[in-house]
Amino acid sequence: MRLGLGPIPLQGATRQALEALAATAVASSFDAVWVGESRADGVGGGLASAAMLGQLVPIRVGAAIDAGLYHPLYLAEDIAIADLTSQGRIEVLLRFGTPASSRYEAPTEQSWFEEQLQVFAAALSGAHIHWSGKHLRVPARIEANQPAPERLALNPRPAQPAVPIWVESSERWMDDLARRFGFGVSGRLGGGVKVPPPTGRWPGMLLCPPDVEPKALLDAAGDGAGYFLIGAQTPHEVVTAGRRLAGALRMPDFPEWINA
Amino acid sequence: MTLRLGLGVFGMQSVPQRPDHHVQLYRDLLDDAELAEGLGFDSIWLSEHHFWFDGYCPADIAVAGAILGRTKRLGVGTAVMLLPMHSVQKVADDAATISRLGEGRLTLGVALGYRDAEFDGFGVRRRDRGKLMDSMLPSLAQSCNSCDPPIPVYVGVATAIAAQRAARLGLPLFADSTMNVAELREMLDAYNAAAAEAGVRPPATHALQRDVFVTDDRERDWEMLLPELRYMRRQYGGWSFPQEPAETVQAYLQRLEADIEAKLKNLIMGDAAEVAARLREFEALGFGLIVCRSQFGNLPRENLHRAFEGLAAVCEEVSR
Repeated sequence: MRLGLGPIPLQGATRQALEALAATAVASSFDAVWVGESRADGVGGGLASAAMLGQLVPIRVGAAIDAGLYHPLYLAEDIAIADLTSQGRIEVLLRFGTPASSRYEAPTEQSWFEEQLQVFAAALSGAHIHWSGKHLRVPARIEANQPAPERLALNPRPAQPAVPIWVESSERWMDDLARRFGFGVSGRLGGGVKVPPPTGRWPGMLLCPPDVEPKALLDAAGDGAGYFLIGAQTPHEVVTAGRRLAGALRMPDFPEWINA
Repeated sequence: MTLRLGLGVFGMQSVPQRPDHHVQLYRDLLDDAELAEGLGFDSIWLSEHHFWFDGYCPADIAVAGAILGRTKRLGVGTAVMLLPMHSVQKVADDAATISRLGEGRLTLGVALGYRDAEFDGFGVRRRDRGKLMDSMLPSLAQSCNSCDPPIPVYVGVATAIAAQRAARLGLPLFADSTMNVAELREMLDAYNAAAAEAGVRPPATHALQRDVFVTDDRERDWEMLLPELRYMRRQYGGWSFPQEPAETVQAYLQRLEADIEAKLKNLIMGDAAEVAARLREFEALGFGLIVCRSQFGNLPRENLHRAFEGLAAVCEEVSR
């Protein structure tokens, strides 16, 4: 089982507040601290903020990103650089079909997201890309730009051989799409929702409220592993969540009396 | 007004003559940012290019985030972001967040870009870059101006047309390192005329990038610098005017070489007092911020740090 703090909303966040929460996460035995952008509200920079966090804490850092709004190669480049500056500690959660799509005038068709992931996954793999689809052509091979190479590659590549990436799935097709490209699947705790089955080596992820009890997480995980992001928003909530959850998730039969 | 000196531009390139891994290059950069802060530099500046074999940095704002996390006082700027290839909405949203988290230390320098392969990678027609800049720049400037504190926006220029575009919006220039004093003067005249015609009040000062190397032994360091400078200039030259389909490699290299020789002459090299005096000439033209590039290709760390320390002495000299 893994325990992450966040995603901490970046709306109105200050460095001081972010640093305080992140430092408390370290001191409370969280495995990672996450931030979340909200481009529908004009709040971007999730990966750059995670890169900043990477300089403030020694644990892994994550970014929940509104994806499918701009060219997927930019997203791949941002991930590569955030991973390099954090010496290979980046994790990413992609959210498709958010209200930001209209603000960015981006398509919302399933085929658009599919092509986005296709190009994005190829870029992160280090492949020399040549893609021609319904929405994207990479390289575009525009007559007026020639001569230009027939293929391109993401360079530099991330520090990690495979950056851990999850897709937040609210519909079956998102789940299928994530698995097809080898990304983990994420859901939200509540209403009997179980941890999504693992994809390869990535456990399913669940976004959880700050007051969640260990039993709810263990029930959701069943016999498998789970990655739980806890939405604590104050240092006090972080400390209490860490005390309540960290030990209980790491070993069965956690002795509750230890906290008494 | 005091002349401010920035350090840069950094591209984090794994060059053939010294191909460090990018994990090491970014670790070095963050260490250098901390060093620059300690040495009293105003700011550090990052450069952007895409899809190049040496891994030239493609995502300046992500790097800026890391530097702002590592440092407490140092400004961080993009020199320059190639705006027409980007989503202007993304740039504005990213910059707003990072500026807030960085407590107002982010500056954006933006320019057109020029390399066909980069435009093609992102599906943008290079020939549309002027029109795209015309539509994106006002919106970016407005968005940056509405941040608290406002994010300064500089416009990277190497031509009078680009300077006139910036002038109509009252945005300060970030002048290219290869322009000589006469060219800079001509460009500023074009800028001021366009600003007057548009009824816009020009900013108090502009920014300028220069290749600068502070040394107490010119001969020794010139021998070390020359291969790195040639690599850098050959690369930029190759992007600006690529090999023609019918041109032999030999003929192409000769054509490139002429350009390299001309541009090498712009390097400012000398001891701290000599360099300070040369930089003062640019200050007199109206440049209040000079971004000094001492990293060409990937210089050995000890040589680079010696140059940074020399530049720090220039910082002291020009602030008197």
